[in-house]
Amino acid sequence: MDHLLQLLVNGLSSGAVYALFALGYTLVFSVLGVINFAHGAVFTLGAYFTYLLIGGAVGANGLLAGLQLPFTLPFPLALLLAGVGAAAVSLLVEAAAFRPLRRRGADPLLALISSLGAGVILVNLLQLLVGAESYAIPTSALGTLPAAVSLGGAQVRTVQLLLMAIAALVVVVLTLWLERSRGGKALQAVAEDPTTARLLGINSDRMVQLAFGVSGFLAGVAGGLVGLSVSIAGPYFGIGYGLKGLGVLVLGGLGSVPGAVLGGLIVGLAEALVPADYSGFKDAVAYAFLFAVLLLRPRGLLGRPTITKV
Amino acid sequence: MNTAAPLQAPLQAPLLHLERLSVRYGRIAALEEVDLEVRSGELVTLLGSNGAGKSTTLKAISQLVAPSGGAVRWRGQSLKGVATETTVRLGIGHCPEGRRVLSRQSVATNLELGAYLRRDHSGIATDLERCYGLFPRLAERRSQLAGSLSGGEQQMLAIARALMGRPTLLMLDEPSLGLAPKLVAEVMGILAELHRQGLSILLVEQNARAALAIASRGYLLEAGRVSRSGSATELLDDEGLQASYLGR
Repeated sequence: MDHLLQLLVNGLSSGAVYALFALGYTLVFSVLGVINFAHGAVFTLGAYFTYLLIGGAVGANGLLAGLQLPFTLPFPLALLLAGVGAAAVSLLVEAAAFRPLRRRGADPLLALISSLGAGVILVNLLQLLVGAESYAIPTSALGTLPAAVSLGGAQVRTVQLLLMAIAALVVVVLTLWLERSRGGKALQAVAEDPTTARLLGINSDRMVQLAFGVSGFLAGVAGGLVGLSVSIAGPYFGIGYGLKGLGVLVLGGLGSVPGAVLGGLIVGLAEALVPADYSGFKDAVAYAFLFAVLLLRPRGLLGRPTITKV
Repeated sequence: MNTAAPLQAPLQAPLLHLERLSVRYGRIAALEEVDLEVRSGELVTLLGSNGAGKSTTLKAISQLVAPSGGAVRWRGQSLKGVATETTVRLGIGHCPEGRRVLSRQSVATNLELGAYLRRDHSGIATDLERCYGLFPRLAERRSQLAGSLSGGEQQMLAIARALMGRPTLLMLDEPSLGLAPKLVAEVMGILAELHRQGLSILLVEQNARAALAIASRGYLLEAGRVSRSGSATELLDDEGLQASYLGR
């Protein structure tokens, strides 16, 4: 029983990461109808930003070997700033890989490829600058907080609780913002019909930037938290999360905020419940589950039925 | 230049003035040297059949398509290079073809977004009540999704949404399209009432008879050119127009 509880906690906390990831995808997708493949790279950058901001030093292999910032920030502040930095990179990706194509009225599929290219460039730059080694964000970054707490027999690491709490907070704030605020409603208007939105006086470009900024911020924060939770396994570590986040997105339903969360938690739990002896099959189980759901419900769990425009 | 000025035009500069406006879609000329003006307080109608260039004219005014020649002047100033969002801010309300309500949002949110650029909260609240007064069906359905409304109700919503922006000039693209005759009369009645209250209107219509019944002046577009223009009475008496557009 304790063991099961432990698995549930583990599953929910990795599910929270997938959910944060998928939320970023879903924001951009709902506005532009395109997947931003550079999202994984932005996530990775968020992790490195966090590492540097809490005073971590660059290893011996990159152009920036030995670099260390002259200051050390407390983890929460570093995480927040890393999110802002990731948002800035995300805006850059929008300006370089999306906007020029949109201006020319190119097929959205092309933006998919150009964003993939932007992601590869970011990851390679990162490798050039800081090398390919892995970095660990020490748990001492949490300061006086205990590393783990006992919860009904299960040992829950503080960072797992943090991940779940932040994911929950993000979902609530994001939903309220989208449904209640003037900006959120305008964003939804652009998502449904960009031309009509413009005739209402809504600046679509600004709204697209907003979506990229928020999505980049979420990715950056998720990256920093994962860095703390399981270490930064080199410049490519965002790619695996990126692919799984994509699966989560499709599972939950493209463009749906609650869908992204539900999908994330399901994939996280499905992975965690794979017995330890078979942990090599974790990904296979997750994707098999995705495949099965899509066979039964092609639009994902909470996706809208597709409406064909005449 | 010899634009079709009305006989008793007020002496101020026209609100909207199209000067030899041309629009091309690739190699196809959609509009060729169109001259048109709307003066403050006028209800002007732009008539013509499918594909004559009526919607393109409104899109060029809203800067959704860039003219290939000529100019769109608003209160005497050229709108060249101005963003669509800015034309809304300047007072040009555009109720697009096919209603284009935001179907996944409620009636109330659609109206709220119509006032997107406004910050005068009390004024917005007043106008919202005014719209609900003008279109009681919308008041009944304010929390319903716009996509669940009937065609007629969606048209009412599209007009109300454009009014929420408090435009100086309201442009409507075929508001009668697909509506039952009774509803057409209702929509035209509301437009006539708005005009009486002082709103300037540019009404694009295929239904020439319904439009000329409430308009002060009209223009007829044929294959991208203005072929006739004049007062509503002149156009109603025009034999060529009668044969092709008034079904007599």
